[in-house]
Formats: sequence, C-alpha cells, structure tokens
Amino acid sequence: MAEKFDHLEEHLEKFVENIRQLGIIVSDFQPSSQAGLNQKLNFIVTGLQDIDKCRQQLHDITVPLEVFEYIDQGRNPQLYTKECLERALAKNEQVKGKIDTMKKFKSLLIQELSKVFPEDMAKYRSIRGEDHPTS
Amino acid sequence: MKTTSARHPDSAGVEGKMENFTALFGAQADPPPPPAALGFGPGKPPPPPPPPPGGGPGTAPPPTTVTAPPGADKSAAGCGPFYLMRELPGSTELTGSTNLITHYNLEHDYNKFCGKKVKEKLSNFLPDLPGMIDLPGSHDNSSLRSLIEKPPILGGSFNPITGTMLAGFRLHTGPLPEQCRLMHIQPPKKKNKHKHKQSRTQDPVPPETPSDSDHKKKKKKKEEDPERKRKKKEKKKKKNRHSPDHPSMGSSQASSSSSLR
Repeated sequence: MAEKFDHLEEHLEKFVENIRQLGIIVSDFQPSSQAGLNQKLNFIVTGLQDIDKCRQQLHDITVPLEVFEYIDQGRNPQLYTKECLERALAKNEQVKGKIDTMKKFKSLLIQELSKVFPEDMAKYRSIRGEDHPTS
Repeated sequence: MKTTSARHPDSAGVEGKMENFTALFGAQADPPPPPAALGFGPGKPPPPPPPPPGGGPGTAPPPTTVTAPPGADKSAAGCGPFYLMRELPGSTELTGSTNLITHYNLEHDYNKFCGKKVKEKLSNFLPDLPGMIDLPGSHDNSSLRSLIEKPPILGGSFNPITGTMLAGFRLHTGPLPEQCRLMHIQPPKKKNKHKHKQSRTQDPVPPETPSDSDHKKKKKKKEEDPERKRKKKEKKKKKNRHSPDHPSMGSSQASSSSSLR
C-alpha cells in the first residue's frame, strides 16, 4: 500500500524539481540555454506520463474534500487529521456517556418496576434470561 | 483517486446520535412504534365490547396472552404480558462504549497529531516546495477546489515535444520582469537559536593541534589586554574626576569645558 504512495511521491518530487529548474532557466534566459530548456520541457512531459501511470494504482484511494479546503487555505493538512481524531474521541466519549446513563436508567427502572410489578418483572427476567436485576 | 465529502461535524453529529441510539436499543432497523402501538394501537387487543347491561353469562374474560404486533420480532411472540420485545444487542457488537481509537490501533497516530503542536502553515508540511504556498489558492487561481469544479480537458496521452513543436519555446534573452518571479519567493523562515547552535557544532572544524590553538588564544589575550587596560584606566580617571574627593573637582568643569572647546 505504502509503495504506491512512495512511487507517486517520488515522481511528484522529480516533477517539482524539474519545474523549479525550468523556472531558473527561464528567469534569466540566455541563447545558450535553449538546448537545456528543450530537454527540461521533454522531462516534464515524461514526468507527466509517469504521474499518469500512477493513476491506475490509486483509483481505489478516497480523499476527503475537506483536506483540499485546508490546502487551498494554505494550512497544514495534518491539522485536518488532528481535528478528525479529536472530534472522533469527543464523540466517542459522548456516546459512552449516553450508553452508561441508559444502562443506569435501565437498571433503576427494572428495580423500581420490580417493586410495583414483582410477578411481571420476574417473568420479564426469565424471558431475558436474567436471574438478578442488572446493576 | 476519488474524493469524498466528509460529513459536516454538526450534521454528522445528528446522524451519529441516531445511529448510536439504534445501537443502544437493538440492532434491528425497525422504525419506532407509532404512539398508538405503545399502549392502545394494533399491538394491543381491541378492548372487549361493553358488557350487556346487567351482565350475562356469555361475557368472556379478556385474553391474557397477546399476539405480537406486525412491527415486533417474531421471537417476541408469546412473551406473556410483554409485547414489542426485542432481542438485546449482542455484547460483541462495537459501540461507542469502547474506546474506538484503541480499537482501531490509532493511539500512535493520536499521540503523533494531538500530543504535540502541529504547525499551522502548509510550507511546514511541504518545506521543499518552491514558491509561496501559504497563500490561499483563490489568490492566484491555483486552488484544488477549482480543479475539481472545473476539471481540465484531458486529450488523452502525453506526447513528447518534437523538434518543430520546440520551435514555439524559443525565448527572448534576458531576465524575467519582477512580477513574474514568483517561483523564487520563499516564505520567510524563522531563525531558531538552538538550530544555530547545532549548525555551529555540526560544521566541520578544521583540525588543529592543541599547541596551535593555545598559541592563538594567548595571542588574542595579548592583543586584547592593552586595550582593556587602557579602557579601564580611562574609566578610573573619569570616576576620580567626578568624585567629590578628587582634588581637582573644582576645576573639573573648566577642564570639561576646555575639552569641549
């Protein structure tokens, strides 16, 4: 799995480096650098071909759109991962709290119902397969 | 590669709550019983017809067992006085009562991202990328969002540029105008004192024999010493002049004024 990304990363890095070098050549162009420019242009074409080849290996990868928003705003995309993890943990804690509260409520309800309807609750417990009221 | 639109925290929260509640009350996806079914709906037998006035021998007692309503589980049928009985969720079912971060082995990632402060800027994530990447993409129309909204027209394969096509890339000699030199502008990097120290230590120091270095130190000391002595002397002199004990205090002002001249 990681190999796919390494491959793509490698090609992207090469491509960016080629673009950077092309920028340097163009920024102060000399007649003697025409051959180098032509070579760089063809490197860019081959770089694009290599990146395009990686597409086939990555068709099953999904990227959340929110990450793009972070990048577009010039923010570190790792912040998205961080916020996702924090949100997940907070939600997890909330749900755990609800489940615990509902469990307590259930045990209290059974306890109180057993006082008022002892026979019915005994039947209920036998159906549920509980000998003792849940605590 | 595909893109997925992650749920918004708020909307996800509502849906998440619902999901968790269904998990709490059972895995069945039955809709909640209509209010009528809770006590007086089709789940409950119709109330017995009113007894004839005076009561008759034909009055039958109400049935003790109840048939399961259409919404309830089949297994719940014949559960004595209870109806709408559902099977409890299995204990093996994954719910929010377990620490899901631990369950999915994400503690390492959690500590990595939430344990320390993640730097805000994109250039901290991609330090080797040239250009000002911290600026918003809408600024120079380079946003990824625009790439999705208006995907480029793909002709097919990438073909190498042939000789005749390369003729179109003949450039004029000379430097680019200032406004076009965006590639070389890098975001200012903060200088770190510790880093500076490290770089100093990492720099290869030319090998020196101990005698040489000692000699240099001594030389430096010798060079510095007379200067220091002179400065010290001057300071002492000044102090003495300004001190009230100094015999020439009275004439100090004159001397100073003379010095001004």
